[in-house]
Parts: sequence; structure tokens; C-alpha cells
Amino acid sequence: MHRRLITWSVAGLALAASVAGASAEFVLKGDPKPAMIIFSQKNDGGWSQALDEARQKVEKELGVTIPVVENVPENATAIKPAVELFIDRGANIILGSAFGYSDAFKELAEKYPNVVFLNPAGTTNGNNLMSYYGRTYESQYLCGMAAAAASKSGKLGFVAANPFGLVNWTVNAYAMGARQINPDATVTVVFTGAWNDPVKERAAAEALAEQGIDVIGQHVDTPTPQIVAKEKGIYGTGHHRDLSEFSTASQCSSVWVWDRFLVPEIKKIVAGDWESQPYGAFLSIAQGGTDIACCGDAVSEEDKAKIMAEREAIMGGKHVFAGPLNDREGTERVAAGAVLDDGALWGMDWFVDGVISQQ
Amino acid sequence: MADIAKPRRFGRINLEIRDDMPMWQQSLAFLAGVAAGLAVSVLILIASGVGPGALINEFVVFIFTSPKNISAVLVQAGPLIIVGLSAGIAFKARFWNIGIEGQVIFGAIGATLVAINNIGPEFLRLPMMALFAALGGMLWIILPALLKLRLQINEIITTLLMNYIAFNFLLHLLYGPWQDPVSSFPHSQQFESFERLAPLGWQSLNMSLLIAAILVVFCFWFMVKSRFGFQLNFVHSNARMAKALGVRVAVLTLAAALLSGALSGLAGFAISAGIESRMTQSFFIGYGFSGILIAFLARNNPLGIVAVAILVATLMIAGQSLQVFYQIPFAMVQLIQAIIVICVAASEFFIRHRMRWVD
Repeated sequence: MHRRLITWSVAGLALAASVAGASAEFVLKGDPKPAMIIFSQKNDGGWSQALDEARQKVEKELGVTIPVVENVPENATAIKPAVELFIDRGANIILGSAFGYSDAFKELAEKYPNVVFLNPAGTTNGNNLMSYYGRTYESQYLCGMAAAAASKSGKLGFVAANPFGLVNWTVNAYAMGARQINPDATVTVVFTGAWNDPVKERAAAEALAEQGIDVIGQHVDTPTPQIVAKEKGIYGTGHHRDLSEFSTASQCSSVWVWDRFLVPEIKKIVAGDWESQPYGAFLSIAQGGTDIACCGDAVSEEDKAKIMAEREAIMGGKHVFAGPLNDREGTERVAAGAVLDDGALWGMDWFVDGVISQQ
Repeated sequence: MADIAKPRRFGRINLEIRDDMPMWQQSLAFLAGVAAGLAVSVLILIASGVGPGALINEFVVFIFTSPKNISAVLVQAGPLIIVGLSAGIAFKARFWNIGIEGQVIFGAIGATLVAINNIGPEFLRLPMMALFAALGGMLWIILPALLKLRLQINEIITTLLMNYIAFNFLLHLLYGPWQDPVSSFPHSQQFESFERLAPLGWQSLNMSLLIAAILVVFCFWFMVKSRFGFQLNFVHSNARMAKALGVRVAVLTLAAALLSGALSGLAGFAISAGIESRMTQSFFIGYGFSGILIAFLARNNPLGIVAVAILVATLMIAGQSLQVFYQIPFAMVQLIQAIIVICVAASEFFIRHRMRWVD
């Protein structure tokens, strides 16, 4: 962990130093012409659709049309031509959609200094390139509360994609939220190893239901776990978008609200007072990256009030990973009075008490 | 009675099987197939509301004259040519290698292994990466090849299944030991400058295209000119007869399979060292099955493979342009790509058959 923290901060310093010289406000030449590149189908029901919905809201707010290209895989050979086609046709704000666009966007941003690039879930930043992501541990923490409120057994399940920082923090936050409502709650997590694999998600959700788990949370791209929950007569909580659209079992969803970030951000770019951030934008509920759609009818009014009060507290500055906090092995991860810094969040490879996992 | 004896004045078309057709006529049939496919596609585009004038002025002119676009097509074509050769050489030996994707993944794993462990001095790094990539590809085909030769286990099944094992092993590496220590994100660390294929100096072309060209020359010599190629032709036409006449069919099949694996591995090297500059989770997408399609359409001829690979690359880039220019849905792009491929495949009928009008 310490080694990781150190490499993170060393890399961060190097990054900061490399951008420091060039750090100037970005000035857009001509009228804003945004364009969006989506790595899968824009109506996938999850991640990409949330971005496409934000695109439509930005169109309305700013009175521009934003053309979109779908199914541009996370390969440099596919990304660069699509982006350059848009730029040749006058686009000057390129909106990405994937972690796998990071390197190609970095190269393109250096090649086209007059074009601004905004990429969700990216890892690269620069003078005219900014990655952004949401602090989903805040919303999943609140959905964990809803899950515990809906659960009778206190045994919660969670279907997750791959075990690394930004997934692990949703699992931990879910368990910590659940324990706010029920101090004995447990979260059994299954990693499917894939973001979009309905077959594995179904197998995982069914296995969880058979163990007597009565609420299934998720951090994968399809609504399958929610559909299985409905079939089994239990509850669930969703991710990406409000999944009650697909299943009445959904009691709460961690949703993306990218328009709340993109609209003011693009307005700033147009006005000429936008500046990129060396580590990208890491958006809380208050800043408009993530939020919750809550709650279903299995959550009592009293519990719902508790959840909304926590949401207010988080918007007011409460940090989910505040010390003293130990991992499930008993190692101290956050000291009393401190909060987990962003580098440690991205590198999170430990679980809190109450999380039961394969590894 | 009299009108029965009188022959009807209708003619008919006789189909005759043709043994051989000169190369220039075959090329003409191929081009006619492309033209027929384009004609149908244009009708579809016009029917969906794209103006014919706009189509010719912007689209056709753009695709064939913009240097940026020509280079995008060639960059895309490089790895496609190599996987096409890989499929072609295996199919020539009637070894149905469906596992190109897995061998591409293992090629990249071999190259990345050398890069991140700093194996060999700097000036030898790229050749070492290429060598390990070829070995990685061979490693991933040797088991299906031996299973086929020793136990008559169908290689279509085994090579296909090996793809899934390779992908899951790739995920294991990227979420485990090879995770980027700088960002804690699931891709390998970036290659050093001396671990990347140098640019050729025009647009975004790099050495990977040159590697593809060298491999084409090698495969042309090997498959068309050499004694090995002659025997391979024999095995392709009639394996039993070849064996009866003393050709060592098993040795030949094993050699062709290993060469196929090595070529796929080198494609993995060309993609990771030439295009992505690191190992990602998605660099191989689209290459496995494209390779099979390309070899099939080119009837395993190395020069034909070059032509078809460029056609497939053009279809990929043109598909993006159609979306960018006219905002037509991706499904329409796939429809158009399929129509062109079907027309080219159908042109094969006229190569194999002669049509004669009989009175």
C-alpha cells in the first residue's frame, strides 16, 4: 500500500511539473462545436446511455447539436480517425466515453492544442484535456443504506465487475452504508471479471440469492442482477442509471448526472475562463457527477429520511472514508481525524469489515 | 405432333466449372464485387435520406484523397494483413485456426513481458519483443495442433476455446501483476521510446506497416514459390493423396499451424508496440475474426490478403465517416459493410464458374 501511495504521489508530482509550465487558461477559437465518441451502443441501458442522455441535455441547454459516433472500440486505430474526422469538420470540444480512450486522447490533445477534450473515467490530463469521474462511493454508500433498510436478513450481495480501486470503493462504501442502518449487515461480493456479461451476472446473482441473500447491489453494466432479484422475489440496487426502469425490485440506484457537470463546464469553456485540472475532475454529489435515485417501496419513510439526511451531510462535506477506519484484517487504513486521500482511493485494494469476497 | 419436334427458340445458361482463371481476371471479378456492393450501399444511403451529390462530393472524394484518411486506413490495415496471413497459412494446410485472437493476445503478452522486465539491451529490445511475441503466438497454437494430430480432436473447438482462456489470462495480468503502477488502472505500464516501433515519417504510419510488408513477401515466397508451398498446395487439394505419395502431411500441418501462431503473435507485437504502446484490455478486438474473413475472401493468397485487408480497413474507417458525416445509425453501417463483403464473396462464384449461353 505504501509503495503504491508513494509511486502515486511521485507520478503525480511529475505530472504536475510537466503541466505546470504550460498551465494557462484555454481559449476556444470560434463557436463551440462539441462532438461525442461512444465506445459501445449509445442505448446500452447503462454507462453509455447515461452519457448520451447528458449529451442531449447539453444540446438543449446550450442550443447546439452534438453529433455522436457509436461503437468506437478502445483501440487507438479506431479512436484517432473518428476524432480527427470531427476535428476536420470543425469540432472543437471532443467528449469521450471510456478509460481506454486515455492515451489516444492525450496524443490528440497534444496534436490539436485548440481543441478541448473531456473524457469520463480517463487517466490522462493536460492543458486542453481533462478526465472526469464521479465519487461513486458516496452514492453507493447511500444505496447500501437503502439495501440494509429493505433487507430482512441483513445479508446483502453485490455483483461487481473487476477488483480494482474504483470498484472496490463502491463495495466498501456499500457495506459501510448498510452498517449505518444495520450494524450486523454483511455484503457478499462476486466479481464477474467483465463489465458487460449478462450470463455471468445472472449466474452470480442466482448464486447469491440461493445463499439466502435478500438484496443484491451491483457495479456492472447491465441490469441483469436487478432482473434476477425480481425473479427471485428479493430486492436489488442499481448502478449507472435508475434501474427501476428494468425491474421493480430496484430500491435505489447510483446514477450518473453528467449534465450537471458538463453544462457549466462547457459554458466555462465558451466564456474563456476554463482551466484543466492536473488530476482531472473527481466529482462528488455536490459537484454533479453522481447521485442516487431513491427509494423503492421496501424502504420505510423513516429509513428514507435517514438516507436523505446522510445525502445532505455528504453534500455538506462529510467523507465516507473518514478515520478511524480499519480494513477487515485489522490494519489501520485511515487514522482518527483524517480522511482517505484521492490517491489512496484509486489504489484501494482492501476491504472493510462486513465484506465477504472471493479474495 | 409437329410443334413438339420443333425446338423452342429460348436459350439457356450453362454453368461450367472452371479450373483456373488468370490473375488479372480474378482481380477484375474482385473489383466488380466491390463495385456492386458499393452500388447497393449507395441506394440504401440515398433511401435513408443522404443526398447523392453530398455523398460523392464529400464522402467518396474524402475517403480516397485525404492523406489523413489514407494513412488511417493503412495503419488499420497493417495488423489486419498480418492476421490475414496467419489465417491464410493455416487454412492452406486445412487447419481451421479460429484462435487468432488468443494468439494475438499471447503475442502481446510475450512482447510486454520483455518490455516490462527489461529483457536484453536497449538496442535489442524491439527484436526481442518480436521474438517473444512470435513464441507467445506459437505457444497458444501448439496444444490444439498436437491435439488434432495425435488425437484427432477438432481444432475449430480447441482454438476457439483457447481464445477465452487467453482473454481471462490477460485480465488476470492486467488486474494483477501487470497493473499500471502509476495510475493503479488495469493496463500495463507504457513502453519506453525504444520499445515502440518508429514512425515512418508520413502522417501516422509506423514500422508496423513495414513489418506487415516484409511478412507478405516472406509468405508469398513461402506459400507460392517454395517447395514447402508446393507441398502445402498438394495437402490443401487432397491430403490423402499427398500422404500416399510420400508427403509428410503431419509435419507440414504442424509447421503451418506454428507459423500461423507466430504470425498472429507478431500481429499482437505490431499492435502493442506500434499502435497502443502498452498492453490494454481491448487492443485485440476485431482482429481475430477479421483475419478469418480476410483469408477466406482472398482465398489464402498472400497478395489477395493485402487487397482484402485494405478493403476491410477502408470499410472500418468509412463506416466511422458515415456516422460522423450523416449521423446514420451504427446498424446501418454494419448493414453496408455486410453487403459489400457478401458481394465480394459472391464474386467467387464467377471465378469458379463459367457461364455459357446455349441456344
